[in-house]
Amino acid sequence: MSAIQAAFVVALVGVLAAVTALALVVVRAALGGDGAPYPTRRLAARMLRAPEERAELNRYAFYAHRITGVAIFGFLCLHGLDVSAYTVSRSLYDDLHAVYGSAPMRVFECGLLAAILFHTFNGLRILAIDVGDLGAIAAQRLLGGVLVLTAVLGAVGSAVILAPLFG
Amino acid sequence: MSAPMWGVRLAAVIPRPGRSRAAAYLLIRVSGLLLAVLVLGHFALTHVVTDVAETDSAFIGRRWASALWLLWDWTMLGAAFLHGGAGIWVLIDDYTTDRVARRRRRTALVVGCALLWVVGSTLIAAAAVD
Repeated sequence: MSAIQAAFVVALVGVLAAVTALALVVVRAALGGDGAPYPTRRLAARMLRAPEERAELNRYAFYAHRITGVAIFGFLCLHGLDVSAYTVSRSLYDDLHAVYGSAPMRVFECGLLAAILFHTFNGLRILAIDVGDLGAIAAQRLLGGVLVLTAVLGAVGSAVILAPLFG
Repeated sequence: MSAPMWGVRLAAVIPRPGRSRAAAYLLIRVSGLLLAVLVLGHFALTHVVTDVAETDSAFIGRRWASALWLLWDWTMLGAAFLHGGAGIWVLIDDYTTDRVARRRRRTALVVGCALLWVVGSTLIAAAAVD
Protein backbone atom coordinates (compact mmCIF):
# COMPACT_ATOMS: atom_id res chain seq x y z
CA MET A 1 0.00 0.00 0.00
CA SER A 2 1.40 3.40 -0.99
CA ALA A 3 1.52 6.39 1.37
CA ILE A 4 -1.41 8.17 -0.29
CA GLN A 5 -3.54 5.02 -0.12
CA ALA A 6 -2.70 4.62 3.56
CA ALA A 7 -3.60 8.28 4.16
CA PHE A 8 -6.95 7.72 2.44
CA VAL A 9 -7.73 4.65 4.53
CA VAL A 10 -6.80 6.49 7.74
CA ALA A 11 -9.03 9.42 6.70
CA LEU A 12 -11.90 7.06 5.87
CA VAL A 13 -11.60 5.36 9.26
CA GLY A 14 -11.61 8.85 10.83
CA VAL A 15 -14.80 9.75 8.92
CA LEU A 16 -16.45 6.49 10.01
CA ALA A 17 -15.46 7.17 13.64
CA ALA A 18 -16.88 10.71 13.45
CA VAL A 19 -20.11 9.45 11.89
CA THR A 20 -20.45 6.76 14.58
CA ALA A 21 -19.86 9.36 17.31
CA LEU A 22 -22.55 11.66 15.85
CA ALA A 23 -24.93 8.72 15.40
CA LEU A 24 -24.43 7.92 19.10
CA VAL A 25 -25.31 11.53 19.98
CA VAL A 26 -28.52 11.24 17.93
CA VAL A 27 -29.46 7.87 19.42
CA ARG A 28 -28.66 8.91 22.99
CA ALA A 29 -30.72 12.07 22.65
CA ALA A 30 -33.52 9.99 21.13
CA LEU A 31 -33.54 7.50 24.00
CA GLY A 32 -33.24 10.07 26.78
CA GLY A 33 -36.03 12.15 28.31
CA ASP A 34 -39.21 12.14 26.30
CA GLY A 35 -37.56 10.52 23.29
CA ALA A 36 -38.32 7.18 21.74
CA PRO A 37 -38.77 4.10 23.93
CA TYR A 38 -36.09 1.43 24.13
CA PRO A 39 -36.48 -1.34 21.56
CA THR A 40 -38.30 -3.85 23.77
CA ARG A 41 -40.86 -6.56 23.07
CA ARG A 42 -43.62 -4.08 23.97
CA LEU A 43 -42.35 -1.68 21.35
CA ALA A 44 -42.24 -4.50 18.79
CA ALA A 45 -45.87 -5.30 19.61
CA ARG A 46 -46.80 -1.64 19.20
CA MET A 47 -45.17 -1.58 15.77
CA LEU A 48 -47.64 -4.22 14.65
CA ARG A 49 -50.64 -2.00 15.40
CA ALA A 50 -52.78 -0.16 12.87
CA PRO A 51 -50.79 2.36 10.79
CA GLU A 52 -52.40 5.42 12.37
CA GLU A 53 -51.16 4.26 15.78
CA ARG A 54 -47.61 3.62 14.63
CA ALA A 55 -46.18 7.09 15.02
CA GLU A 56 -42.87 5.55 16.19
CA LEU A 57 -41.93 4.52 12.66
CA ASN A 58 -41.99 8.15 11.54
CA ARG A 59 -39.76 9.03 14.45
CA TYR A 60 -37.23 6.33 13.65
CA ALA A 61 -37.25 7.49 10.02
CA PHE A 62 -36.40 10.98 11.35
CA TYR A 63 -33.38 9.64 13.28
CA ALA A 64 -32.29 7.45 10.36
CA HIS A 65 -32.51 10.52 8.09
CA ARG A 66 -30.14 12.41 10.39
CA ILE A 67 -27.64 9.57 10.72
CA THR A 68 -27.56 8.77 6.98
CA GLY A 69 -27.26 12.50 6.26
CA VAL A 70 -24.21 12.81 8.51
CA ALA A 71 -22.66 9.69 6.95
CA ILE A 72 -23.14 10.98 3.40
CA PHE A 73 -21.80 14.42 4.38
CA GLY A 74 -18.74 12.78 5.97
CA PHE A 75 -18.00 10.86 2.80
CA LEU A 76 -18.63 13.98 0.68
CA CYS A 77 -15.88 15.83 2.59
CA LEU A 78 -13.42 12.97 2.07
CA HIS A 79 -14.43 12.49 -1.58
CA GLY A 80 -13.88 16.19 -2.34
CA LEU A 81 -10.32 15.82 -1.07
CA ASP A 82 -9.49 12.49 -2.73
CA VAL A 83 -10.62 13.66 -6.19
CA SER A 84 -8.39 16.72 -5.69
CA ALA A 85 -5.42 14.40 -6.13
CA TYR A 86 -6.39 14.59 -9.82
CA THR A 87 -5.22 18.22 -10.01
CA VAL A 88 -1.90 17.36 -8.35
CA SER A 89 -1.11 14.61 -10.85
CA ARG A 90 -3.00 11.97 -12.83
CA SER A 91 -0.77 9.15 -11.58
CA LEU A 92 -1.24 10.22 -7.94
CA TYR A 93 -5.01 10.06 -8.49
CA ASP A 94 -4.80 6.63 -10.15
CA ASP A 95 -2.69 5.32 -7.28
CA LEU A 96 -5.18 6.65 -4.70
CA HIS A 97 -8.20 5.57 -6.71
CA ALA A 98 -7.07 1.92 -6.75
CA VAL A 99 -8.44 1.75 -3.18
CA TYR A 100 -11.99 2.22 -4.53
CA GLY A 101 -11.83 -1.10 -6.38
CA SER A 102 -10.65 -3.09 -3.32
CA ALA A 103 -12.99 -5.54 -1.61
CA PRO A 104 -13.46 -3.68 1.72
CA MET A 105 -14.04 -0.40 -0.12
CA ARG A 106 -16.67 -2.03 -2.35
CA VAL A 107 -18.50 -3.22 0.78
CA PHE A 108 -18.31 0.35 2.12
CA GLU A 109 -19.75 1.60 -1.20
CA CYS A 110 -22.75 -0.73 -0.79
CA GLY A 111 -23.40 0.82 2.62
CA LEU A 112 -23.00 4.29 1.12
CA LEU A 113 -25.51 3.40 -1.61
CA ALA A 114 -28.05 2.22 0.99
CA ALA A 115 -27.58 5.46 2.96
CA ILE A 116 -27.98 7.60 -0.18
CA LEU A 117 -31.08 5.69 -1.31
CA PHE A 118 -32.81 5.92 2.08
CA HIS A 119 -31.90 9.60 2.52
CA THR A 120 -33.07 10.46 -1.01
CA PHE A 121 -36.41 8.65 -0.90
CA ASN A 122 -37.17 9.67 2.66
CA GLY A 123 -36.30 13.26 1.72
CA LEU A 124 -38.69 13.10 -1.22
CA ARG A 125 -41.29 11.67 1.19
CA ILE A 126 -40.84 14.66 3.52
CA LEU A 127 -41.24 16.97 0.52
CA ALA A 128 -44.41 15.10 -0.54
CA ILE A 129 -45.82 15.36 3.01
CA ASP A 130 -45.31 19.14 2.96
CA VAL A 131 -46.37 19.84 -0.62
CA GLY A 132 -49.30 17.39 -0.68
CA ASP A 133 -50.30 18.18 2.93
CA LEU A 134 -50.38 14.43 3.63
CA GLY A 135 -51.70 13.00 6.88
CA ALA A 136 -50.23 10.35 9.16
CA ILE A 137 -51.60 7.34 7.28
CA ALA A 138 -50.38 8.46 3.86
CA ALA A 139 -46.99 9.38 5.36
CA GLN A 140 -46.78 5.92 6.90
CA ARG A 141 -47.59 4.22 3.60
CA LEU A 142 -44.99 6.31 1.82
CA LEU A 143 -42.44 5.25 4.43
CA GLY A 144 -43.17 1.65 3.51
CA GLY A 145 -42.48 2.56 -0.12
CA VAL A 146 -39.22 4.27 0.90
CA LEU A 147 -38.04 1.13 2.72
CA VAL A 148 -38.99 -1.19 -0.14
CA LEU A 149 -37.28 1.04 -2.74
CA THR A 150 -34.16 1.31 -0.57
CA ALA A 151 -34.02 -2.46 -0.05
CA VAL A 152 -34.64 -3.39 -3.70
CA LEU A 153 -32.42 -0.78 -5.37
CA GLY A 154 -29.80 -1.26 -2.64
CA ALA A 155 -29.71 -5.02 -3.24
CA VAL A 156 -29.51 -4.63 -7.04
CA GLY A 157 -26.83 -1.93 -6.79
CA SER A 158 -24.82 -3.93 -4.26
CA ALA A 159 -24.92 -6.99 -6.52
CA VAL A 160 -23.49 -4.87 -9.37
CA ILE A 161 -20.82 -3.31 -7.12
CA LEU A 162 -19.72 -6.63 -5.59
CA ALA A 163 -19.95 -8.71 -8.79
CA PRO A 164 -16.30 -8.11 -9.91
CA LEU A 165 -15.09 -9.68 -6.64
CA PHE A 166 -16.62 -12.98 -7.67
CA GLY A 167 -15.05 -13.12 -11.10
CA MET B 1 -44.15 36.11 23.39
CA SER B 2 -41.92 39.02 24.35
CA ALA B 3 -43.63 39.51 27.75
CA PRO B 4 -41.71 37.91 30.63
CA MET B 5 -43.28 34.63 31.68
CA TRP B 6 -42.17 32.92 34.89
CA GLY B 7 -39.23 35.27 34.87
CA VAL B 8 -38.05 33.93 31.50
CA ARG B 9 -38.36 35.71 28.18
CA LEU B 10 -39.68 32.93 26.00
CA ALA B 11 -38.63 34.78 22.86
CA ALA B 12 -35.04 34.28 23.94
CA VAL B 13 -35.53 30.52 24.28
CA ILE B 14 -37.87 29.62 21.43
CA PRO B 15 -36.51 30.33 17.96
CA ARG B 16 -38.93 32.57 16.08
CA PRO B 17 -39.93 31.34 12.66
CA GLY B 18 -38.48 34.23 10.72
CA ARG B 19 -37.24 34.84 7.24
CA SER B 20 -33.94 33.02 7.77
CA ARG B 21 -35.80 29.88 8.82
CA ALA B 22 -38.03 30.05 5.76
CA ALA B 23 -34.93 30.53 3.60
CA ALA B 24 -33.21 27.54 5.22
CA TYR B 25 -36.36 25.45 4.74
CA LEU B 26 -36.50 26.31 1.03
CA LEU B 27 -32.72 25.90 0.61
CA ILE B 28 -32.74 22.37 2.07
CA ARG B 29 -35.69 21.26 -0.06
CA VAL B 30 -34.65 22.82 -3.37
CA SER B 31 -31.04 21.60 -3.06
CA GLY B 32 -32.33 18.21 -1.91
CA LEU B 33 -34.53 17.86 -4.97
CA LEU B 34 -31.56 18.74 -7.20
CA LEU B 35 -29.30 16.27 -5.38
CA ALA B 36 -31.85 13.46 -5.70
CA VAL B 37 -31.19 13.58 -9.46
CA LEU B 38 -27.52 14.65 -9.48
CA VAL B 39 -26.19 12.29 -6.78
CA LEU B 40 -28.15 9.20 -7.84
CA GLY B 41 -27.06 9.90 -11.43
CA HIS B 42 -23.44 10.31 -10.31
CA PHE B 43 -23.52 7.09 -8.28
CA ALA B 44 -25.19 5.14 -11.09
CA LEU B 45 -22.58 6.38 -13.57
CA THR B 46 -19.56 5.59 -11.37
CA HIS B 47 -20.74 2.26 -9.92
CA VAL B 48 -23.37 0.73 -12.21
CA VAL B 49 -22.78 2.00 -15.76
CA THR B 50 -18.99 1.95 -15.18
CA ASP B 51 -17.27 -0.38 -12.73
CA VAL B 52 -15.75 1.69 -9.93
CA ALA B 53 -12.26 0.27 -10.65
CA GLU B 54 -12.44 1.83 -14.13
CA THR B 55 -13.30 5.36 -12.97
CA ASP B 56 -9.60 6.31 -13.14
CA SER B 57 -7.99 9.55 -14.31
CA ALA B 58 -8.62 8.63 -17.99
CA PHE B 59 -12.33 8.25 -17.16
CA ILE B 60 -12.38 11.66 -15.42
CA GLY B 61 -10.47 13.19 -18.34
CA ARG B 62 -13.02 11.90 -20.87
CA ARG B 63 -15.95 13.00 -18.74
CA TRP B 64 -14.61 16.46 -17.96
CA ALA B 65 -13.93 17.12 -21.63
CA SER B 66 -17.65 17.83 -21.80
CA ALA B 67 -18.97 21.14 -20.45
CA LEU B 68 -22.21 19.43 -19.47
CA TRP B 69 -20.44 17.07 -17.04
CA LEU B 70 -18.43 19.96 -15.59
CA LEU B 71 -21.68 21.84 -15.02
CA TRP B 72 -23.28 18.68 -13.52
CA ASP B 73 -20.38 18.17 -11.09
CA TRP B 74 -20.07 21.83 -10.13
CA THR B 75 -23.82 22.15 -9.49
CA MET B 76 -23.71 18.93 -7.47
CA LEU B 77 -20.74 20.22 -5.44
CA GLY B 78 -22.49 23.48 -4.54
CA ALA B 79 -25.86 21.86 -3.82
CA ALA B 80 -24.19 19.15 -1.70
CA PHE B 81 -22.34 21.60 0.54
CA LEU B 82 -25.40 23.87 0.86
CA HIS B 83 -27.66 20.93 1.70
CA GLY B 84 -25.18 19.12 3.93
CA GLY B 85 -24.03 22.32 5.63
CA ALA B 86 -27.62 23.37 6.35
CA GLY B 87 -28.35 19.87 7.68
CA ILE B 88 -25.33 19.81 10.02
CA TRP B 89 -26.25 23.37 11.11
CA VAL B 90 -29.60 22.00 12.32
CA LEU B 91 -27.86 19.14 14.15
CA ILE B 92 -25.51 21.62 15.86
CA ASP B 93 -28.56 23.67 16.93
CA ASP B 94 -30.31 20.57 18.27
CA TYR B 95 -27.45 18.95 20.15
CA THR B 96 -25.35 21.88 21.41
CA THR B 97 -26.84 23.60 24.45
CA ASP B 98 -23.86 25.81 25.26
CA ARG B 99 -24.10 29.13 23.42
CA VAL B 100 -20.37 29.64 23.00
CA ALA B 101 -19.79 26.08 21.80
CA ARG B 102 -22.69 26.44 19.37
CA ARG B 103 -21.20 29.58 17.84
CA ARG B 104 -17.78 27.92 17.61
CA ARG B 105 -19.19 24.83 15.91
CA ARG B 106 -21.27 26.89 13.49
CA THR B 107 -18.16 28.87 12.51
CA ALA B 108 -16.14 25.68 12.09
CA LEU B 109 -18.91 24.24 9.89
CA VAL B 110 -19.16 27.31 7.65
CA VAL B 111 -15.38 27.67 7.32
CA GLY B 112 -14.94 23.93 6.65
CA CYS B 113 -17.70 23.82 4.01
CA ALA B 114 -16.39 26.98 2.33
CA LEU B 115 -12.85 25.57 2.21
CA LEU B 116 -13.94 22.24 0.73
CA TRP B 117 -16.18 24.03 -1.76
CA VAL B 118 -13.21 26.18 -2.85
CA VAL B 119 -11.02 23.06 -3.18
CA GLY B 120 -13.67 21.33 -5.31
CA SER B 121 -14.37 24.41 -7.41
CA THR B 122 -10.65 24.90 -8.06
CA LEU B 123 -10.47 21.29 -9.20
CA ILE B 124 -13.36 21.70 -11.63
CA ALA B 125 -12.09 25.09 -12.82
CA ALA B 126 -8.65 23.58 -13.51
CA ALA B 127 -10.32 20.81 -15.51
CA ALA B 128 -12.38 23.38 -17.43
CA VAL B 129 -9.22 25.32 -18.38
CA ASP B 130 -7.46 22.14 -19.59
